[in-house]
Amino acid sequence: MSIRTMLENWEKYRTTHPSGDLHKDHPEYKWAMAIDLDTCTGCNACVVACYAENNVPVVGKERFEHGQTMHWIRIERYWNDEDADTPNQGAQFLPMMCQQCEAAPCETVCPVGATNHTPDGLNSQIYNRCIGSRYCSANCPYKVRYFNWYDYPEQEIAWPEPLPMQLNPDITVRTKGIMEKCTFCIQRLRTAQSTARTEGRLVKDGEVTTACAQACPTGAITFGNLADPYSQVAKMWRQQQVELHKDRQDKDKTGDNGGVRGYRVLEELRAYPSIMYLERVRDTNA
Amino acid sequence: MEEKDIRDDIAWAQINVDVLRSIEKPRLSFWLLFCFAGCLFLIGVACEVYQWRKGLGVANFDNPHVWGLYIASFIFWIGMSHSGTLLSAILHIIHADWRKPIYRFAEAMTTFSLMTAGLFVMVHLGRLWKFYYSLPYPNERWTWPNFQSPLLWDAMAIFTYLTSSILFLYVGAIPDFAICRDNATGWRKHFYSWLSLGWMGTDRQWRNFRVTYLTIACFLIPLAVSVHSIVASDFAMSQQPGWHVTSFPPYFVAGALYSGCAAIITLFIVLRHTFRFEEYMTLPILDKIGRLTFVIAMVWTYLNFVEYASVWYGDDMYAKDLLIQKATGPYSPFWWTMNFCGSVIPFLLISKTIRGNLTAMMIISLLLNLGMWLERWMIVAPTFSHGYYPWTMDHNQWPSFVQWGMVLGSFGWFGLLFMLFCKLVPSVSMYEVKEMVYHRTLAQKKYAREA
Amino acid sequence: MSTVRILGLFNDFDLASYALREVRDAYLPALNRDDITIKSPIEHPDVEELLGYRPAPIRRYTLIGSLLGGILGFLFLASSQGNFFAQQKGGKPIIPFPPDIVLTYEMLILGGVYITVLGFLISAGLPARMKSELYNTKISEDQIGVLVKSDARTIAEIKKIFEKHLAISITEEVIE
Repeated sequence: MSIRTMLENWEKYRTTHPSGDLHKDHPEYKWAMAIDLDTCTGCNACVVACYAENNVPVVGKERFEHGQTMHWIRIERYWNDEDADTPNQGAQFLPMMCQQCEAAPCETVCPVGATNHTPDGLNSQIYNRCIGSRYCSANCPYKVRYFNWYDYPEQEIAWPEPLPMQLNPDITVRTKGIMEKCTFCIQRLRTAQSTARTEGRLVKDGEVTTACAQACPTGAITFGNLADPYSQVAKMWRQQQVELHKDRQDKDKTGDNGGVRGYRVLEELRAYPSIMYLERVRDTNA
Repeated sequence: MEEKDIRDDIAWAQINVDVLRSIEKPRLSFWLLFCFAGCLFLIGVACEVYQWRKGLGVANFDNPHVWGLYIASFIFWIGMSHSGTLLSAILHIIHADWRKPIYRFAEAMTTFSLMTAGLFVMVHLGRLWKFYYSLPYPNERWTWPNFQSPLLWDAMAIFTYLTSSILFLYVGAIPDFAICRDNATGWRKHFYSWLSLGWMGTDRQWRNFRVTYLTIACFLIPLAVSVHSIVASDFAMSQQPGWHVTSFPPYFVAGALYSGCAAIITLFIVLRHTFRFEEYMTLPILDKIGRLTFVIAMVWTYLNFVEYASVWYGDDMYAKDLLIQKATGPYSPFWWTMNFCGSVIPFLLISKTIRGNLTAMMIISLLLNLGMWLERWMIVAPTFSHGYYPWTMDHNQWPSFVQWGMVLGSFGWFGLLFMLFCKLVPSVSMYEVKEMVYHRTLAQKKYAREA
Repeated sequence: MSTVRILGLFNDFDLASYALREVRDAYLPALNRDDITIKSPIEHPDVEELLGYRPAPIRRYTLIGSLLGGILGFLFLASSQGNFFAQQKGGKPIIPFPPDIVLTYEMLILGGVYITVLGFLISAGLPARMKSELYNTKISEDQIGVLVKSDARTIAEIKKIFEKHLAISITEEVIE
């Protein structure tokens, strides 16, 4: 059966991804985000929401300082002395989570195939397949993959009573030796997609969102379906002149970023991330 | 007249007696050393049990330092394994006769290094008890491992190399097992009778043996090159700075041959002394290995330098930053030691006096291997400290006692296996030494006739 | 006529080869090439050639083994990767050539080595039952043995040839 499958689908098996055509690669859904760094205040509400939604364990202060962190989304704080007339101006925040790369470097190197690319454009992580070789994290340019260095559910500090009652039943609790990362709250997406399919339609823009986008008080995170040209996130990507399948945007050739704020992190590595960041507005030009 | 690799008047019966003496009942000193290796191994086992129960966090891994001494030691042991192939296969094909007394223990070193390396792949996994997911076995979910992953290529290549090495070692030792069988009593006779498969040295058997040995040797050479290139691909096929270097496969193969040669020198001196093999593992042969090691050291030095040069020429600021970090950051003492041991110390091997001095060669070979072990560590660790993403750069992470314990344990494991081998299998290939002596007598006769 | 086996042990290859040459040149009609076996502690292709050329068909096994290993390896890889058509990895094709070529190469070598060893065992006739042939432990030490199997009269002739060439010991055995 496998040889027949292989021979029948040979053409399809030999194409690369992403091709130039988003609608050919992802006809129905392509989940993407746009994060406005000017609106982001670094309040960490998104981080806390992610902990609550995805059963992310608390590792404790000692292990966190030791570097064995566990947080699917992290707020990076940068301090730029040149920009700073006041402390407010110097600090910059960047929420960094799994960029759900279209050509993810982590997917090729997992020896058991625990991480793959889904048809709706997510980088999936299959917990029960993972044997913990950590090659995916080694290959990730953003280092957004987090490993369970200890058996956190066994430990008092992760979910002290009565917190286990707060755990999300839609998602597993991971044991030691497993890699995990941001999944764009895939459990919410699958529920919404399933409901929509039962009703014979596609998921509408705004019908489903990730926990971090939901919790953000300033609305810095916009989540949606890039394959839907009328979605908020697709409009933002178009406005910012950022295209998913390019490793260098056309606007970058003019030298001033085309006058818009949108960019993707480490784009030149050709991982084709699905998260667009909007640069902070700086007062220096005013 | 140049000193000969071996005396041409050694009686063949004497060869049998001398080598068989090495596999007779072991003395107290053997048992003491065996227990010592066993203790080292138990330290490793204890560390592994602790790590299994608690989780990999006890090894001091963190984000982004997800790999450490386990992968470095894995590559080191695979590298050591190239010694046997070099001596058995490559030197066989070019008819370098001086390899004949020493290739048996080198081939054994290959096999046991591969077994040790296999252990490291397993202990470095987060869920070691599920390691069989990486093996291609049919299951009800039709899931197969991801053949795109260089780690998977490792699994396939090392399996091939290990089994082929064992077969090569075994097939090459069949005539020697026959000798052991003919001189043994009791359980040993049964044991060697089974192993020698009824070998009687008939012309039919020798004829086929010759062709088989040469054929497998011809396969083993590209296999060895490909195995270590595949191990190098673990790094070269990623895109991290300091790893995504096209010269990694040949660089690793050169490093492997290098550490293999150094290990051969170490074991040569140990075995020569322990089993009194002075007639067979002669100083001229040590001289030749010393020269070979020097040549390979220069190849390695060149490839090492090429890596630095290509970073200097290239426009990749990440790679340049990383190189400067290696030279000036917290890893710099190890990096400079590696460069010193790997590139400067081999120049001592130019001197014939040093090559003939056993103590000096022992120290030099250990230092060379230290340099090579450090090289593997310096490939793995600095890239994690200093990748593409500034937020995750962390130059202050060191392995814990658990990792060091396992590295010690691996040496203990290797020692155990090697010592068992020395007492069960003749560590000098008797029939090949006889061939060596025979061809020298023929050459002497011819020389005398023509003179 | 009874079949007799005789094993003559010689000190070195020179004496053994003189004896063999004389056996070959003495017109002994009942003797075939296959009835003569040389047993030695090391190989000596020239002495073996004295009796006439015999092939060592190992390389045929090697060829079949490597081809099988390579082809079956590639088919296995490609069809197992083909099962994962819904799960792309890293933007690469489902059946990518670089990994497949590397692994096919390994499988080619694997198949080649294994079938070569198998071929060796078959061609050399190993494992062999030692009880069915005359053998002396000195053969694995430093003496060359020449084993001949034939009828009693031919063996008597051969015995004389052995004695003429200073055989160290001669053993005879009647088979049937």
